[in-house]
Amino acid sequence: MSHYPGAGPTVYDPMTLPSDDNVNNYTFCVELKGSQWFLQKGKMIAYYGQMDFNGIGHGRLDGLVRTSFHSPLHASDWVVAQGSGKMLLADRAFDVNSYDLEEGNLTIRSGNLLAFQPSLALKQSIVPGFLTLIGTGKFVAASNGPVVFMEPPIRVDPQALVGWADCPSPCHHYDHGYMAGLMGGLRAMTGLGGASGEEHQFEFVGAGTVLLQSTEVLMAEQATGVVPSEPGVPGGYGAPAGQPQQPGVPRLPGQLGDLQRRFGL
Amino acid sequence: MPFREINSKMVEATVMPGQRLFSQRGAMLAYKGEVSFTPNIQGGQGGVMSMIGRRVANEDTPLMTVEGSGSVLFGHGGHHVTVVNLTGDTLFVEADRLLAFEGTLQQGTMFMGSQGGVMGMVRGQISGQGLFTTTLKGHGSVAVMAHGGVFEVPITPQRPVHVDPQAYVAHYGDVRNKLSTALGWRDMVGRGSGEAFQLELSGNGVVFVQASEEKL
Repeated sequence: MSHYPGAGPTVYDPMTLPSDDNVNNYTFCVELKGSQWFLQKGKMIAYYGQMDFNGIGHGRLDGLVRTSFHSPLHASDWVVAQGSGKMLLADRAFDVNSYDLEEGNLTIRSGNLLAFQPSLALKQSIVPGFLTLIGTGKFVAASNGPVVFMEPPIRVDPQALVGWADCPSPCHHYDHGYMAGLMGGLRAMTGLGGASGEEHQFEFVGAGTVLLQSTEVLMAEQATGVVPSEPGVPGGYGAPAGQPQQPGVPRLPGQLGDLQRRFGL
Repeated sequence: MPFREINSKMVEATVMPGQRLFSQRGAMLAYKGEVSFTPNIQGGQGGVMSMIGRRVANEDTPLMTVEGSGSVLFGHGGHHVTVVNLTGDTLFVEADRLLAFEGTLQQGTMFMGSQGGVMGMVRGQISGQGLFTTTLKGHGSVAVMAHGGVFEVPITPQRPVHVDPQAYVAHYGDVRNKLSTALGWRDMVGRGSGEAFQLELSGNGVVFVQASEEKL
């Protein structure tokens, strides 16, 4: 799209709107030709043509949900667009981008995903709050500021992480070396001197790509639905007995668990 | 030059052993290599006296020291980031606009009254700088945050520059600034143009202006 200062806003009509591409940094145009797209509720801002938007509980769509939608309890947040025409997607003036997956996988923060083609399968990630897309197809994601792609090994501020592709090792990294020693202990006990705010990162190693947004301002979380409550399922309610992670239990100051709480982890 | 602009809101800094960076706390987005982030009680350089000076002057932004070897990505609050390279000049900037700066720069605090006496203090109140502002002097780079994009306006002796106090970000060089007022009876009865106060910068140097009138 060319846009010159002083030329006024560009005017689009159904013919000149791009097909499955960005209109500008904040708007994405999807072309439907009798095909279907999944989109998060409320992200469609305008459309040309004939389209139906159906909630996923809709009877005719049951088959589709079976093949490409795997978090049944989360289904009420999504709608299926069906028909022919062009549809504009946007999310609160956040930057919007589309990504192509080819027999790949990508895990993304649930609030950032806007829409995806049904040729992709959407599943809940084992990591709570994240969704994984598997297969071949296109999806649209929003981010706060442009997305930057980085190669591992890298450590990422939790709030700046948008997602990752092909990286099998998202893990936590704690970095509070300055808390060691006598002065560090005093600091940890009293809270004097403050924290650097960077004691905790997500660490990625191995082959793949990590997606970062340009700020630490998170987008609103989107519920991913609950996971079955079985022992051994992270985030499930069936937490195994004997785990000492009960909130509200007083602990000695200076212990790691105490630090974690102080940092709001 | 340790800072590289990745996009309008993010910079990449290269950290090498023996070189220190200071950055605003919590502004790190990601890093590669072995880098440590230590909160800095003193809020910058100098000893305890400098710290007290900054506390008194309300220019004590929480900073952290970044050391090690690797590369770090910085960004904060969705603000636009500009890199300013200083070669012996003094940059005048509000402490909360500092995203990161090199340890080779000398950090100081300046009393607005020292530039133009009482009018300097009035100017500080109107431009939102307060009574004090932070100075960075020497050779090195600074990453400065602003709301909206930033552009540089050169100041030459023949052409003084007038800036809206709310859009003013920072300046360096041999620059005198004064507040020029165009207050009239219209302002008194509430029919003013809204542009009654301007900063007039004259001399030799550069002023950075943001494309918004919103303060950080």
